[in-house]
Amino acid sequence: MSNHVTKIFHKIWGGFAIPHKPIRFRWIDFLLVLGIAGLFYGFISVEKEWTGVWYPAVEIDLNPWNLPKYTFFSMVRGIIAYGLSLAFTLAYGYWAAKDKMAEKVLVPLLDILQSIPVLGFMPGLALTFVGLFHQSNIGLELTAIIMIFTGQVWNMTLSFYHSLCSVPTDMREAAKTFRFNWWQTSNWVEVPYAAIGLVWNSMMSMSGGWFFLMISEAFVLGHNDFRLPGLGSYMSIAVNQGNFPAMVYAIIAMIVMIVFLDIFLWRPVAVWSQKFKIEETGQQFATSSSFILNLLKKAGLLQYTEGIFIYLIDVIAGNPSFKKKVQVKNIRKIQFPFRIFVWTIYAAFIGLFGFGCWKLYHMLQILPLSSWGCLLWYGCLTLSRVLSAVAIGTLWTLPIGLAIGLSPKLSRILQPVIQIAASFPAPMLFIPIIIILKTAGIGLGYGSIALMLLGTQWYILFNVIAGAMSIPTDLKEASNLYKMNLCQKLKNLYIPAVFPFLITGWVTATGGAWNASIIAEYAVFRGHTLTTSGLGAIISHAAEKADFAMLTGAVLTMSAFVVVFNRLVWRSLYNTAQKRYTL
Amino acid sequence: MPDLNMRNNLLLCELKDINHSFVLPNGNPVTVLKDINLSIFREEIVALLGPSGCGKSTLLRILTGLIHPTTGQVLYHGISLKDVNPGVSVVFQNFVLYPWMTVLENVEIVLKAKGISRNEIKQFADKALHDVGLTGYEEAYPRELSGGMKQRVGIARALVVEPEILCMDEPFSQVDALTAETLRAEVLDIWSCAEKNPTTVFMVSHDIKEVVYMADRIVIMGSNPGCIRSILQNPLPHPRDYRSAEFLSLVDRIHSIITSAIIPDEEITATPVTASTEFVLEPMPDASVNEIIGLLEVLNAHQGERDIFHLAIEIHKEFGHLINIAKAAELLDFVDTPKQKILLTELGKRFVESDTKDRKRLWKEQLYKLTIYNRILDMLKNAPKGRLERNHVEEELVLHLPQEDPLKMFNILTSWARYGELFAYSEDTGYITFE
Repeated sequence: MSNHVTKIFHKIWGGFAIPHKPIRFRWIDFLLVLGIAGLFYGFISVEKEWTGVWYPAVEIDLNPWNLPKYTFFSMVRGIIAYGLSLAFTLAYGYWAAKDKMAEKVLVPLLDILQSIPVLGFMPGLALTFVGLFHQSNIGLELTAIIMIFTGQVWNMTLSFYHSLCSVPTDMREAAKTFRFNWWQTSNWVEVPYAAIGLVWNSMMSMSGGWFFLMISEAFVLGHNDFRLPGLGSYMSIAVNQGNFPAMVYAIIAMIVMIVFLDIFLWRPVAVWSQKFKIEETGQQFATSSSFILNLLKKAGLLQYTEGIFIYLIDVIAGNPSFKKKVQVKNIRKIQFPFRIFVWTIYAAFIGLFGFGCWKLYHMLQILPLSSWGCLLWYGCLTLSRVLSAVAIGTLWTLPIGLAIGLSPKLSRILQPVIQIAASFPAPMLFIPIIIILKTAGIGLGYGSIALMLLGTQWYILFNVIAGAMSIPTDLKEASNLYKMNLCQKLKNLYIPAVFPFLITGWVTATGGAWNASIIAEYAVFRGHTLTTSGLGAIISHAAEKADFAMLTGAVLTMSAFVVVFNRLVWRSLYNTAQKRYTL
Repeated sequence: MPDLNMRNNLLLCELKDINHSFVLPNGNPVTVLKDINLSIFREEIVALLGPSGCGKSTLLRILTGLIHPTTGQVLYHGISLKDVNPGVSVVFQNFVLYPWMTVLENVEIVLKAKGISRNEIKQFADKALHDVGLTGYEEAYPRELSGGMKQRVGIARALVVEPEILCMDEPFSQVDALTAETLRAEVLDIWSCAEKNPTTVFMVSHDIKEVVYMADRIVIMGSNPGCIRSILQNPLPHPRDYRSAEFLSLVDRIHSIITSAIIPDEEITATPVTASTEFVLEPMPDASVNEIIGLLEVLNAHQGERDIFHLAIEIHKEFGHLINIAKAAELLDFVDTPKQKILLTELGKRFVESDTKDRKRLWKEQLYKLTIYNRILDMLKNAPKGRLERNHVEEELVLHLPQEDPLKMFNILTSWARYGELFAYSEDTGYITFE
């Protein structure tokens, strides 16, 4: 049967689109078809949901049987947001790397955008989109998706940009002498070179996106209570009602979703991306094989699709006649409209920026000077919490991370577990922990440190493990030969070796802790508001009361804290580490 | 040699009045190539020979159109080059295979870029891989191959587009000696097939024997700034025999041209310190303390005398670099370099036979004789708090040695001074202090 199909395809496509060995269909193809059908059904229900009549707050049914549906909705949002992030990353990163003039604006802009807490984008987005589509749910859905997007995108873009900038000169030269055009160069050289970093950051980003799932799907803006059907809103309703079983169900559903995505999406992708490894670089992943990837490789259906896909790409990009047509055109003529296009974008950017500044100025005018002083003081309070959280995190992750990283056996067993734990959105655990802390007599002032720690310790742990794994064997052997005791080894080898990695971990962790402060310093539980004084609490409170001046002021203050701290402290530490401790 | 008219018909590519310079991070321009004029003809193998840092690779990149010269032009079939040269392909020193593509894909991809149909791609790529003996390795990834095999892929990839000129940038320097030998013969075989491209091979090398074995015309370059010293015809018929008398005499001739060009016999020692404000600082040859001492030790073991080219082969050093080491030792009066010989001086002999403490003392005494160190010590004496900033030294170097890279110069300078305990330099603070 399949042979017959092959012949037909040969006739239609001229034969060369089909891989040379005969394709056999296996049971995995059957499952694949089932899976695709299932997804199709899911998307139809999502579509129904989106175009459904607009209602600001959906009734969330806490019956656990509804959880699969809610989880699926949330997952689709996360995946769409990820798709957007990827598209944004490729476009923005490519532009910043190629256009020397734009680079000077785009890269610092990315740095600033990265430091703006997700909640800072929320009111603007919500009001715009809900206003645009007030007939259907699309507006609210888009708001949620873009909020998840803002939690995912920035580190991916930065990583992609840095990879593009570090493509070795000789690889570019080879591409040039063999006359690759820009599309071929990006497709065959630049994107493959950036692939491993991109995959790694995608995994991090996906978990970063879940962090604000609860807020993205259910938020209060002034008098409006916005709520979408999803796992995040399920959890926030459960928290509001103080329904413990429902909270546990939601947490389990979240874990299931993360494990599901890990097994069916990230692990296959990560293993596949090993193909793009540059010889000299050390291993970044502990993943070595993926059951799903092995199955998929065998699937005949995918091979067919791949063949057709390759053919289509050839038709579009590689066809000689098509190419000739392009070459005939004068290159200058192509460049000219392109330049106009670029300049229009510049102009639009500058215009938008100016307009934004003007609006911002008007909005902030209402804030009295005393409020600014207040914000600054609260900023310092939150800063002290952030730093405490990072310090405590370092205290426990440094020894544990070293132990895991130095032992291949431990790292093999624990790495997947830690990855899952790290991608679990910590805010879902906040309320249970707040209650536990409360019964132990600890208020939110100190408790929020524990909450921040919960969300950000993983970044430090990951980096320490990576650092410990990169210590060369000969250095370890030398320290054994000289009979150093553990204390001396720590002082002379382990800590200096992981120091650069530790700093990378600290930078990410502080960023995460600032973001977490928004949830950690302000919590609503069974209608009671628990709060402590801090910048995060101010942001949450202002968003809820729709006090836009205060919200903008607080968000700006937080961004300023993050950027200044990065520039003054982390960067100089990082430079020292690069200079002295790089192996 | 064919007469002039005939040669004009055979003219393929011309480099005309090429000057190339680039700007250092501190804003100072450095001239890499000066007044280069070179014609490349059909059916010949041209080799550029010269010490490292003479701009050979830059010249190759100018010919391929990867770099645009600051002034001058490259003509290909009489037309001035604006972009990448359409008639060349390049074999790189470090292979530069894309690690995410298999051997076959690495070759196919350059055909795809040309917009050839899929059937032909397969056919051409198979043939190219067959020609370099890689059949059976199609599905291997570059990381699975040895250096020699990788370079075979590099050659197959360059040949598959049938270039008129095959450019090779030190193609066999990263390949083990035996494989290099086979590859040289294979490239000659491929080139000698008259009906097919490439008609011309343009290669860059620092290996004199390789050049004499392969090239019909040998272009010897000098450095600081890079320029053409002389062009030699190599009339020996192929296949050439490494041990034949004609072969060896040509090698010897090249030896003497290079030595007279790079280490002339007139004295190059320290210029005396004068009271005038105009300093003439000696450029420091790029050689480490250990390399200089190593050279002295080897000379001492060989009764204080050695031929520089023989020595280069014996100690597996590129002769261009060995010449640098010899120049450095000569600057310190430890050796003399008459013709192609390196001779250990009395002082050098005393140095080698001393213990570490005395060696350091002798070294320090020699450094005191160099203007450059006197200048720095002067600056250090006048520096506030006895700390001299690195930047000040670099500015001084830029001022008096505009041809040199101040960062590199500074590193050599401090490493020599550290051994002689002349002054101390801390990387962390960026200050020079007295010991």
